[in-house]
Amino acid sequence: MKPGTFLARAACVCAVIATFSLMLAAQAGTDGATAVPLIGGAGAGNAPQARAEVQPPKSGKAAAPKDFTGYWVSVVTELWRYRMMVPDKDDYQYVPLNPEGRKVAALWDPAKDQASGNACKSYAAPAIMQVPGRLHIYWQDDNTLRVDTDSGTQTRLFHFGSSAPASETPTWQGFSVASWQGAENVDTRDGQGGPVQDADGRLVPGRQMRQADYLKVVTTHLKPGYLQKNGIPFSANAQLEEDFDTFTDPYSHATWLTVTSVVTDPQYLIEPHFMHAHFKKQTDNSGWDPTPCHADEPR
Amino acid sequence: MKLSISDWGIKLLWILPLLVLLPTRPAQAQSDILGEWSPRVYNDGVDIGDYTGIPLNQAGRLRAESWHPDQIDLPENECRPHPIDAGLRVSVSQLRITPELDPDTGQQVGYRLHVAWQQPEQVIYTDGRPHPSPNAPHWWSGFSTGHWEGNTLVYFTDHLKEAYLTRTGVPRSSKSTVTTRIHRYGNYLNITFIINDPAYLTEPYIREYSWVYAPDQVIPPFPCEIVPEGSIVPAGSVPNFLPGQNDLLYNFAKEYGIPPEATLGGAETTSPDYIKKLKTMKTLPRTTTDHFHRAG
Repeated sequence: MKPGTFLARAACVCAVIATFSLMLAAQAGTDGATAVPLIGGAGAGNAPQARAEVQPPKSGKAAAPKDFTGYWVSVVTELWRYRMMVPDKDDYQYVPLNPEGRKVAALWDPAKDQASGNACKSYAAPAIMQVPGRLHIYWQDDNTLRVDTDSGTQTRLFHFGSSAPASETPTWQGFSVASWQGAENVDTRDGQGGPVQDADGRLVPGRQMRQADYLKVVTTHLKPGYLQKNGIPFSANAQLEEDFDTFTDPYSHATWLTVTSVVTDPQYLIEPHFMHAHFKKQTDNSGWDPTPCHADEPR
Repeated sequence: MKLSISDWGIKLLWILPLLVLLPTRPAQAQSDILGEWSPRVYNDGVDIGDYTGIPLNQAGRLRAESWHPDQIDLPENECRPHPIDAGLRVSVSQLRITPELDPDTGQQVGYRLHVAWQQPEQVIYTDGRPHPSPNAPHWWSGFSTGHWEGNTLVYFTDHLKEAYLTRTGVPRSSKSTVTTRIHRYGNYLNITFIINDPAYLTEPYIREYSWVYAPDQVIPPFPCEIVPEGSIVPAGSVPNFLPGQNDLLYNFAKEYGIPPEATLGGAETTSPDYIKKLKTMKTLPRTTTDHFHRAG
């Protein structure tokens, strides 16, 4: 073989290798996606083999994909008469109460609640996002996102990276475990072939990780309270799952906070109960109006 | 001219980097929103005169007050489809989301939403195509283009026909636009609507609803037959209320003990600060607790 031919072939081989390397890099560079460590064929029957450097987990604050901090004000466009006013006793049209729950709802007595120190039952975690008012959200420490409400002057603590202690005492705000959600493997197959293989020929279940982009909060250890101002009950067995998201509306340029709440309570509900709350971001604390709990007022 | 191997090699060096520019990743599939979804939709706003929570302006209020429930029985309205932004909000109805494929290439160009009640459909194009001219025809479900923001499918809809925000006559004009966000949380699907309407709203109107994944769900057909003209409503008449003559308007306020002014909506009424004002407002005597004027 002539030296020039050999060099040309060597150059071709190098170019091919470089090209495929660039293609793989392009795949890993999907918008909003970050490369994840290759896991050796966990989904293909191969022994898992982590190949990335082990890094300490980031704190909740450091890992935050979005900024939920600041002052927010309720925008009450849904279930207005249930939120801006105190509904009548037994008005639970949108709550999937079971017969036992209806019996308890019929016993609602706001004067008795106020007198017995139970006025905050309708400001508990499953209800507080529905109560019209303002929120102040900030990082209490690197793993605790704190939500203060002016209505009822309540405080919720969202704990990242920890679970409820076994000895946790039930409270109306319960114990909330928080995590950033939405990160998951993305299949990178382009429809032109089989599964992606790594350099050693192992099947790769996913080469990209979509970034987390919303906040999930699960609250347990709840002290029994109300889902609505008019005494619609939740029990100590209730669990609250909330998904928080924030975005800017390109039309109005307003920044919104949306909260989807799902309450599961086998004692009083026949199925999970869904609620939604919307807040607009404020530039400052204007309108912040701390109030005590009122058993017979909307906020 | 005969090329040597080294000449081919040099040419390949130019060609190979271009391969990098070929499509190397899927064009879609951020979060799997496809499939059957069972509604967990709370259909408030079904009472005549209930405009609560809607940032309605005076023109919108005037149109809403003129609406008469018998308008539903006009032949031209009997099978009139809900636009999908209303269909998803005001009818508690199953939802199906399927990929929208280009008929020639088979490539996915977007998503198709299908709602059971009255079968409105909406295609959301995610292939980057532009919106049609402002002078193009308007449709019940408008024209929608979208993109993924992380796990959220965000799409913008215009070219909407005039329709309703509620089932009791609160209007949405043909100038309105809707920004919609579809987000899957585990087995829950959330759809958030932000409706802008320069004709009848003073502020964006935000609503949100949830569905639960229901792979075994069966959506039945929705046949609709128009009865002959005049069989329900006298032929040639359009039931309506002239300004100031809607005698049903404040029944909702009476029924629930709400100050009448507050039931007519407006941006101010959606703020928590409005609660203080509510306490100073007069209510009408509660003469009924029946829901006989409900039209939803």
